Amino acid sequence: MSKIGIVIQREYCERVTKKSFIITTILMPLLMVALMVIPTIIMTMVGPSETTVLVIDKSNKIFQKLESNEDVKFIHTSEPLDSALAREDVGAVLVIPENIIEARGLALKYYSNGPSSMTTESLITRQINDAVEADRLKSYQIDDLAKILDDVHSDVALSTLRNDKDSEEATSSGLSYGIGIMMSLTLYMFLLIYGQMVMTSIIEEKNNRVLELVVSSIKPAQLMMGKILGVTLVALTQILIWGVLITCMSAFLLPALLPAEAMQDVAAVQAGNFAAVSNTENLEIIQAVSLLGSVGYVIKLFGLLTLFLMTGFLFYAAIYAAIGSAVDNIQDAGQLQTVIVVPVIFGFIFAMTAAADPSSSLAFWMSIIPFTAPMVMVARIPFGIPGWEIALSLVLLIASFVGMVWLAGKIYRVGIFMYGKKPTFKEIIRWVNYK
Amino acid sequence: MDILQVENVTKAYASHVALDNVSLNVPQGCVYGLLGPNGAGKTTLIRIINHITAPDSGRVILDGHPLTQNDVEHIGYLPEERGLYKKMKVGEQAVFFARLKGLSKHDATIRLKQWFDKFDISNWWDKKVEELSKGMAQKVQFIVTVLHRPKLLIFDEPFSGFDPINANLLKEEILQLKNEGATVIFSTHNMSSVEEICDNITLINKSRNILSGNVDELRRRFFGNRYDLTFNGDARALMEKLLPVAGEFTLGEPDGQGREHISLHLNDGASLRDLITIANENVNLAGFNESISSMNDIFIRAVKESESTTEN
Repeated sequence: MSKIGIVIQREYCERVTKKSFIITTILMPLLMVALMVIPTIIMTMVGPSETTVLVIDKSNKIFQKLESNEDVKFIHTSEPLDSALAREDVGAVLVIPENIIEARGLALKYYSNGPSSMTTESLITRQINDAVEADRLKSYQIDDLAKILDDVHSDVALSTLRNDKDSEEATSSGLSYGIGIMMSLTLYMFLLIYGQMVMTSIIEEKNNRVLELVVSSIKPAQLMMGKILGVTLVALTQILIWGVLITCMSAFLLPALLPAEAMQDVAAVQAGNFAAVSNTENLEIIQAVSLLGSVGYVIKLFGLLTLFLMTGFLFYAAIYAAIGSAVDNIQDAGQLQTVIVVPVIFGFIFAMTAAADPSSSLAFWMSIIPFTAPMVMVARIPFGIPGWEIALSLVLLIASFVGMVWLAGKIYRVGIFMYGKKPTFKEIIRWVNYK
Repeated sequence: MDILQVENVTKAYASHVALDNVSLNVPQGCVYGLLGPNGAGKTTLIRIINHITAPDSGRVILDGHPLTQNDVEHIGYLPEERGLYKKMKVGEQAVFFARLKGLSKHDATIRLKQWFDKFDISNWWDKKVEELSKGMAQKVQFIVTVLHRPKLLIFDEPFSGFDPINANLLKEEILQLKNEGATVIFSTHNMSSVEEICDNITLINKSRNILSGNVDELRRRFFGNRYDLTFNGDARALMEKLLPVAGEFTLGEPDGQGREHISLHLNDGASLRDLITIANENVNLAGFNESISSMNDIFIRAVKESESTTEN
């Protein structure tokens, strides 16, 4: 086995057998599922918190049209305001004035015991407005009003199909947005967490004084490369395990969670048969589910994510390695690390704008420039961008990774023997020219 | 035959010159001392020999050919700054380093077991390094250095971190390795620690090789024909009387019994008998010895001489 191989093996085995690695690798996906499922379970178990609203309807026209639901329960009262306000068994008191039908721009008084929720407030205003509108319409005395209104009512949803693709596949920009941001966030996390790992492990070797022993057997640049590749493999192992777990969940868990009739719709969408979809109101959700439930799609996304994770990580890990070699402890690394953290954060910010408008020229350029490319590109990928853009971005990323490794190797080789003084950027740049 | 030749090696860093045109030859099968004060450039030279850093100019020849990366498999290096991976198990770690030196996993394991048995530390195999004491870690480091049976062994300040027992063990093992045919280079600023085992030395001071050669020859060259006299009497008067046969007097402090000390150099061609006769006639001679000079004295003299020549 080559010497780099031996170093890779050591780095990989040391990290993968760590308890913390095994635990986070298995727990993270479970935690994510738990985050989605637990609120639902709590909701069903505890039930909605119902607000009782005492209504003093001076107009006598509104109360009978207010509909109680699981959030709000309306109770009519003829008590005067003072005694109503004194009651402690109700959540709120609502006063409807006599002139509510005729008056314009009224502000109704809503006395709440304790904090009032925005959902409740908007529900109450909507119901009252509906009631007032209905009453006013009625005063025009139009025949068959209800039927006319029903006719007039429109309920349109957008179901987007890609025209520029070979196969007519269903897309949903809402879902793409969500997936894009998720992938970008994953990448962002991996770059920073695993990059930091490369750096701290180099600083540790330096502090342990084990480095001099290692570099007497292997070239410093080889050692650095072995370390970077070893950690990259660890990151890939983790993301692949997550990928498999998530794919399994999307393949088996989603169908189990959704009601059967929704699944029929999902199957219809997957088959490209939109006409068969019975429930147009939830089209967006059904499209989302159908996409996530299609294993091929998930694997394709994951493959690209992994590819960008790997190339992006190699690129940034090289910078992390150079910084780690230049300093004696993590504290000193802080200022130098801005070189990495700033572009990565910018990358994530651009990724969010790119997910909102994936075909803008800003999104395009940011997904080509290597510093921001990994984050921005994965945010755009779910929208289905041309293959040549992905290829160009990858090629540039790999090229700049090679360049960066060369540069980092030059710095590393000098930096690992520098103890004591914290170097400035200027000094580090000068190291590159040492023989 | 010389196993190692360093030819006109120069290495400069941004702020200082670490090595200035240094040349030296290490004969096969000897113990070679690389001596010099801290900061003289010894470690830089050792790193160049180990192919860790490259010289700005000059070259290193090992076994008759210019040094390449593959040659490091024939070199065993115990750095001054030594450490091990703290979280790794002792056995795994030793195998790791042995494999980096080109041994197969299988060979490394067999040889390691032998060494561990020899040092009676077999039960450490599965211990983590952080559980070991410093002395224990030193034994492991020594084994890692010699495991691949290198032709050339380099020890940088070998005795500085070792406790006396391990230092002794180290000395014995090194002489054993020398008997088996290995060449050993020692680097140290503590001259007395190695003079008894070194055959040849090089003194490095302020980035330059100021003195190279066989230890016995150097002793003779620097301190041959020097004698110490202890007596009761007038030291200055004696020195005047001795001028025809001796020179380079140094007057020591009188001891508790009022006896004077003089150290002197017998002139070439003068006889020792004359010297003693003159001394006997003039003072009450209490002691007469040939000076035993240490490497330390040689070093101090060599440094003074080299500095005066540089100034001139």
